[in-house]
Amino acid sequence: MKELDLKIEDISEPILNRAEHRIEEALLYALVSTQLRKEEIEISSFPVAVMMVASTADKRMKRRYALAEAKRVYNLLKEEKSKSKILEIAKIFNWKIRLADDKPPYEFALFFTDYLRNATRFQAKGWKLVNRIMLNGEVYLTKDDAARLLEEEVRVHIEKKLDVKEKVALPQNVADRVERLKQAFTKQKGKIELEGFPEEIVVSAFPPCIKHMYDNITSGHHLSHIGRFALTSFLTNIGMTAEEVVNLYRSLSDFKERLTRYQVEHIAGERGSRTKYIPPRCDTLRTHGVCIGMDEICRKVRHPLAYYRRKLRTIKAEAPVERA
Amino acid sequence: MKEIETKKFVKNKFSEYYQKHSSSLQPPTLIEKREFGFLMFTGRVMVRHKGFKNVDDLAKSLKTLVPSDVYYSSAYYERPEEEMEEKGWLGADLIFDIDADHIPTPCEKIHDAWTCNNCGITGKGVLPEKCPACGEHRFDDKTWPCEVCLESAKTETIKLMDMLKQDFGFSTKEMKLYFSGHRGYHLHVESEKIQLLDSMARKEIVDYIIGLGLETKLHGLVEEKGERKASILTGPSLNDPGWSGRIARGTYEFLSKATLNDLKEIGLKKKVIDTLIKRKDAILESWKEKGPWGIIKGVGAASWRKIAQHAAEMQAAKIDTVVTTDTRRLIRLNNTLHGKTGLKKIEIPINSFESFDPFKSAIAFKEGTLKIIVQDAPQFRLGDQTYGPYKNRQVELPTAAALLLLCKGMAKVKGEE
Repeated sequence: MKELDLKIEDISEPILNRAEHRIEEALLYALVSTQLRKEEIEISSFPVAVMMVASTADKRMKRRYALAEAKRVYNLLKEEKSKSKILEIAKIFNWKIRLADDKPPYEFALFFTDYLRNATRFQAKGWKLVNRIMLNGEVYLTKDDAARLLEEEVRVHIEKKLDVKEKVALPQNVADRVERLKQAFTKQKGKIELEGFPEEIVVSAFPPCIKHMYDNITSGHHLSHIGRFALTSFLTNIGMTAEEVVNLYRSLSDFKERLTRYQVEHIAGERGSRTKYIPPRCDTLRTHGVCIGMDEICRKVRHPLAYYRRKLRTIKAEAPVERA
Repeated sequence: MKEIETKKFVKNKFSEYYQKHSSSLQPPTLIEKREFGFLMFTGRVMVRHKGFKNVDDLAKSLKTLVPSDVYYSSAYYERPEEEMEEKGWLGADLIFDIDADHIPTPCEKIHDAWTCNNCGITGKGVLPEKCPACGEHRFDDKTWPCEVCLESAKTETIKLMDMLKQDFGFSTKEMKLYFSGHRGYHLHVESEKIQLLDSMARKEIVDYIIGLGLETKLHGLVEEKGERKASILTGPSLNDPGWSGRIARGTYEFLSKATLNDLKEIGLKKKVIDTLIKRKDAILESWKEKGPWGIIKGVGAASWRKIAQHAAEMQAAKIDTVVTTDTRRLIRLNNTLHGKTGLKKIEIPINSFESFDPFKSAIAFKEGTLKIIVQDAPQFRLGDQTYGPYKNRQVELPTAAALLLLCKGMAKVKGEE
């Protein structure tokens, strides 16, 4: 807004309409359309929409809006015939990128840190650095690869813009529009609210790695540092109390009550920074050798807690249940 | 009683070293932004969250505290002395640790030993799952900085450096190589380019180095529809960049040396093995063109994939995954003593790594001899001399050799003499 030197009171009706429409499209269809004929409105409605979404303080709404706007950029870049558009946008984000035509089908070479900053959030195996062509610090990309990575950069950039700490004060007419959007979104998301975990701990729903460590620890076996962290954070997240977790470690011969209690309570978020830690993702556990091999459910999830949630559902459908 | 005396003795020697050699201390880049940690002789406690404005202050501290091991943070902080959450992380060097502990070697049976914490029974080689005598799971294990182990660590380090140079494009100026003073090598990358990488990005780098998640398909080992007949297998070539070339070169290397048993072990069928051995010359010759993929009758896509996957594993470098992904790691400071050996961590010029001899260059104590009583020690070399093996014997050794055994807990200082 400041960049464009606009005052919120002065914003014309067409711009406000388009801003509201952008958000609506994002919330309902997860994609913002491109209306190139009215370029001026397109450009100025974006910061207005950002401000409106920022004012909602609704994390999911913000995430959804950022993603939809980023998708719009991706679609634009994908259609673009010339490669210069990609370079142009990449430069805005200070990417170290250049055209490369010596290794078809690749068209760009991007410095690996710029690549990693965005690609680590992608799950497909083709995005793993180990499966890319990399030479002299540059990762080779097709045009579509580059567009997809830029989409991610844009998404994160918009999310940061939306993440404002102080309250955004809007004039009444704009605030009314935001209120309407919020209601539409609540209505739409309605039932998809995530359910919490059940109160009892269901050992038979543990993923293989957690089950393995759980069995090991209860029979007094030694466990690696990262293993202990994964197990402890998993258990405190599915509803075990810090006290119960401490007791689990009691059978270890190097058990030191004070130290264990301190560490477990720290992970459970009852101490220090008060952050409750969640267990590492599956691929991190794989890197550190905690993963003991995947079963069928593992292949469908990326996180031990997601495994637990999923398995609980299948167990619920069946009966009876083994409980700890 | 004796053990305390030995500890005190070693501490005195360390103190002497830091008194004499404080001028050779090498401060890390931006010392004022690093956290320091000292492992103390007494109680084996780690004193953390220390900060120093300059190397003189650090030297003073080492002289008064005389720690058994000196560490500094890979990270740069605004306020290194505050608690973790308050430090203000500014970035971190990229650190690789290659330790013989992570590489299986044939010699560990000879020199590694363990003692059960519960009943005191001892054994040789790799730690057992549980004590054969009492069923306890906790052990005191003694590893040994042996030449074969360090040689295998060197091989892994060379593979690592190759990837960092060729693939990641780091210059020799950005990389610093060290002998850890015990059983391995450290490679530090200091460069603004990588300082801000988060833990997830570093994890991807680790996966790259250890070849985790590598898919040969994504490196061009694919079946393509041929003209009339069924599909044709194509694959990477020797000169391809990155992992593609590594898969090809690894396959070439593996097949040129593979024995019948090697081929059996990776799960190939007998018929396939016979063909591979019979057509070995043709296979090696084929690399001048497009590689053997697809042209050798009787070796199908599935078999090639097994071979390539195994070959790739041999090309990966075995690093400690935890060290590299940790953006707040404490690492040993260059030119300080290793509490387990009395040797020092030293920098190795990268271009003379091949001929580097840790048992010569890392010697910190170069003068005098000591009389010690050795309980049990394997044969070892230090400098140009070979010592031992010793069993329950009193010997007089050069200071460095004696300290190595004392630090390892394999010997005691000789009484009141």
